[in-house]
Amino acid sequence: MGTFILRRILILIPMLVAISFLIYLGLELTPGDAVSHMIPPDVANTLSAEDLEALREQLGLNQPFLLRFWIWLTNVLQGNFGHSLEAGVAIKDIFLDRLPATLELSGFAILFSTIIGCFLGTISALRRGSATDNSLTVVGMLGVSIPEFFFGLVALSFFALHLEWLPVGGRLMPGYDSFWDRAPHLVLPVLVLSLMMTAGVMRYSRAAMLDALSREYIRTARAKGLPGWRVNLLHGLRTALTPVVVLIGFRLPALIGGSVIIELVFQWPGLGNEFIAAVRGQDYPLVMMIALFSVLAMLLASLIIDVLTALIDPRVRLE
Amino acid sequence: MSDIALEVDDIKTYIYSNRRCNKAIDGVSFSIRRGKTLCIVGESGCGKSITASSIMQLLPALSRIEGGSITYHSDAGEIRIDKLPRNGARMRAIRGSEIAMIFQDPMTALNPVYTVGFQIAENLKYHTKMTARAIRDRCVALLRHMGIPLPEQRVREYPHSLSGGMRQRAMIAMAMACNPKILIADEPTTALDVTIQAQIFELMNRLKAEHGTAILLITHDMGVVAELADDVAVMYMGKIVEAGTVDDILRRPRHPYTRALLSSIPVLGRGKNQSIRPIRGSTPDPYNRPPGCQFAPRCDFATEACQRMPDETFVAPTHRVLCWNHDRVAASG
Repeated sequence: MGTFILRRILILIPMLVAISFLIYLGLELTPGDAVSHMIPPDVANTLSAEDLEALREQLGLNQPFLLRFWIWLTNVLQGNFGHSLEAGVAIKDIFLDRLPATLELSGFAILFSTIIGCFLGTISALRRGSATDNSLTVVGMLGVSIPEFFFGLVALSFFALHLEWLPVGGRLMPGYDSFWDRAPHLVLPVLVLSLMMTAGVMRYSRAAMLDALSREYIRTARAKGLPGWRVNLLHGLRTALTPVVVLIGFRLPALIGGSVIIELVFQWPGLGNEFIAAVRGQDYPLVMMIALFSVLAMLLASLIIDVLTALIDPRVRLE
Repeated sequence: MSDIALEVDDIKTYIYSNRRCNKAIDGVSFSIRRGKTLCIVGESGCGKSITASSIMQLLPALSRIEGGSITYHSDAGEIRIDKLPRNGARMRAIRGSEIAMIFQDPMTALNPVYTVGFQIAENLKYHTKMTARAIRDRCVALLRHMGIPLPEQRVREYPHSLSGGMRQRAMIAMAMACNPKILIADEPTTALDVTIQAQIFELMNRLKAEHGTAILLITHDMGVVAELADDVAVMYMGKIVEAGTVDDILRRPRHPYTRALLSSIPVLGRGKNQSIRPIRGSTPDPYNRPPGCQFAPRCDFATEACQRMPDETFVAPTHRVLCWNHDRVAASG
C-alpha cells in the first residue's frame, strides 16, 4: 500500500502540470486582460495606447503565451506563487488568510453531514416503509432538490433578520477572534451546507444499506444466531460503507475549493468568495492558483477514496 | 431418548403481499431422525425453502407460521420452535448452535469483507464460552476437518480468494462449528460443478456418520436423493404429496407426481433414444390455485374425485401418499 500511495503522489506532478496548462490556456482564450480591469474605463480613455502597452510590458503580459506559462510554472515549482494583479498581495498570503475560513466551514459541514447522514440513512433502511423512513425520505428529497442559495437565504431571513438570533454574515468581528467569538457566525453557513450534504449522504447510505441487507450473507449471519445489532452493523453497514465513502470523498474537493454559493450568500471570507472576485477581475495568477488548488484537492480526494475503499473492502486491491 | 431430532406437524406458513395470501406451506408434516438424512424434493416454488426457513424462524418479514407445530428434541427436552419469538434470545441460541444451515450459493452466502476465520469464529463466540485462543485453534481444526488444505493460511483469507468448493466447505465448517444436532442444507451444491458436488456430499455423509448430525437436505435433483437420502419427502405446491424411505420413493412411487419426476430424468448411459417424459403444463399460480389436489390439472391419473383434496394414506408403515388414485398408479407398473 505504501508504494501504491507514493506512486500515486508522484503521478500527481505531471497531471497537475498538464491540467494547469489547460487552465492557463482557457484563461488566455477569454477576451480582455488584467489591465483592462485594473484601470477604470474613464481613466483608460485618458491614457495613451503606449502607456497601456508599457504597463502590459511591465506586467509581462506581452510575452508569447508559452513563454508566460513557462515562467509561471517555474515560479510555482520554486514555491513562488506570484502576486494578485488586482490587490498586489502575495497569493500565498491570500491562501493563508482565506483557506482557514473555508476549511473551518467545510470541515464542520463534512463532519456533521457524514455522521448524521449515515445514522439517519441506516435508521431509514432498517425501518424500511415505516413512518420514520417515509418522513426521512421526504426530507431527503427536499434537501437534495432545494438549491442551496435559496435555503441559505430563507435561513438568513428567518434566523438572522426575523429572529435576530444569529449574525447575518461574515466571519470575524474586529478584535474578537477566538473560536467562540466566531461560532455564532459559523452556525448558519454550516447548518445550510450540512443540511444539503446530509440529505445526499442519507439517501445514499439508505440505498446502500438496503442493498447490503438484501444480500445472502445477511441471512447467513442471522442463521448463525447472531444478535440483530451485529447482523445489521457488522455485516450490513460495513459493506454498505463503500459507496458512501465514495460520495463523501468526491464532495471533499468541491468543499475545499470553497463552497462558492454558500460563501457568497453568507459573505464568508473563504476561497470560494475570493475565487469569484478573482474571475471577475481576470486576476490570472490568483485564478490559476485557486483552480489548481481545487484540482489538487480533487486528485488527493480520489487517492483517499481508493485507499479507504481498499481498507473497507478486501476485494479491492491497490495496484 | 427418542431417535427423532425434529418433528414438524401440520405446519402452515403463509406469505402475504399486496393484501393477497400465498399459502406457501399448507399443512406439512415430517420428522428428521438423528444421524439420518431427510431429503425434501420438489420443483422451484413448491415451498421447500420456506419449510427450511420456518424451522430456522428466518422467514421473510411478511410471512407467518399460521398453524401446526415444530418441535425440536434437544438434549434438555422438547422445545416448541414455532412458539419462540422470532429473534428472541432463545431462538438465537438454537440457531447456528443446535440447528445450523448452509445455503445454495457459497459465493454470496459468505460476507466478502470478513475473513473465513472471522466468520467461523463469530459462531463460536456467541454460542460457546471458549477463549479467543481456543476459538482460533478450533477454526483451523474445523477447516482441516472439512478437508481444506493449508487451513492455517485459509483461515486468514477472504472468501473471494477461495474456490467455489472451498467456500462451501468453509460454509459447512461454519455450520458445524458448534456441533449442531441438525444441519439444514438448502440446495448446497446447485452452484457447484459435478465433481465438487460429489466431494461435498461425501463430506456431509462423513459428518453425519461421525457426529450423528441429522441432515435436512433440500434439493430438486433426484440423483442427489438417490445418493444421500435415508428418507424422502416429495413436495408440490406447499404440500408433501408423498413421503417414505428412499426405497419407498425411488422403487415404489405411488404418487403420479413422484412418478412423473422420476421419468423426466435422463439417465446417463442409456443413450439418446431413451424416452424422457416431461411433466406437461406448468405449476399453477399460487394465488389462483386449482381446487382439491394441486397436481390434478397436470396428472395422467386424474379423476372426478381429484376435485377434492385427498387424505393422507399410509400404504406402508413408513410410506404415505396424498392421492385418491395411488392404487391405480401402483398397478400401472
